[in-house]
Amino acid sequence: MPDWRAHVRDHLGSLRHVRAEEEEVVCELAGHLEECYAALRAKGMPEEEAFSETCARAGNWEELRSGIVSAIEEGTMNDRVKQIWVPGLVTLLSSYVVLTLFQRIGVRPMVLHPGEPRGVVLYLPWLFLLPLIGAVGAYLSRRALADGWRVYLAASLPALALGAFFLLLFPLAFALDRQVPLHIKGTALVAMTVGWVALPGIALCLGVALQGLSKRRTASR
Amino acid sequence: MIRTELKRGTAELAILSVLEAGPLHGYEIGRRIEQQSDGALQYTLAALYPLLYRMENRRWLLGEWGKGQNGKRRRSYRLLPRGRKMLKPMRAEWADLFQALRRVAKVTHA
Repeated sequence: MPDWRAHVRDHLGSLRHVRAEEEEVVCELAGHLEECYAALRAKGMPEEEAFSETCARAGNWEELRSGIVSAIEEGTMNDRVKQIWVPGLVTLLSSYVVLTLFQRIGVRPMVLHPGEPRGVVLYLPWLFLLPLIGAVGAYLSRRALADGWRVYLAASLPALALGAFFLLLFPLAFALDRQVPLHIKGTALVAMTVGWVALPGIALCLGVALQGLSKRRTASR
Repeated sequence: MIRTELKRGTAELAILSVLEAGPLHGYEIGRRIEQQSDGALQYTLAALYPLLYRMENRRWLLGEWGKGQNGKRRRSYRLLPRGRKMLKPMRAEWADLFQALRRVAKVTHA
């Protein structure tokens, strides 16, 4: 019996960008060729003829390689959109809409160290609602068969987006405003990060954990 | 013999149809299609596998690893509800196409 695995590996070449799936693809294709060869031999075809007939049934290897790469890439991209970006967009939009609504109806933030530019601003009703929004994001992400970090990434996107925004904005503000002392700028950055990134992030992740817990409970019933 | 380009278009319907009876692995899918079409439809690996992976992406099929008859790892495909739902409109579409061809090109059954 020829070594079909080696044959596939030689002819298929490297599946760039989708190396994680390469071993399984090689195994599957080799299995196909192996069965094809065995069936031809069982019909009484001589070894050499069966080998070349099996090779002919593989078709064009370049076409096979590019077809497989593009199919796997398409699947990965689809998964990423369904598991991360769609739920992430839902959590991002709903958290900002809720925050804007609270601000419009006059909900006042709680400010730790009021009167100082370094005070931590907390919209408590918003923070209390974030676990629910995180749970919705986690539900959508898990429904698309995501697990682990993908679910947390999707659900905590609002906090991560604000974190990225601060990282971009603050160095610019530091550079432009030279009158405010550096230690005040630094503590203001910490205060903003705590109020707008860390605590919302924790609240959203709490929602992810609670949704996972409730899903497991429902499944075990 | 049917030309490759023509066969490509038929592959989705052929795959879904043979999987309607139960899960099969890649080689078996190709063999069943070949048998049931009296050898008229033969798909190379290059035609079959990219399509199987695409159909899996669309959640028409689910590929699962298991042990084959010879004890080796084999990936078998089973039809998912979404794929089963596609069968009826696809069959109707092909029936319409054959009817249209019959009228235009005077194609008749052999």
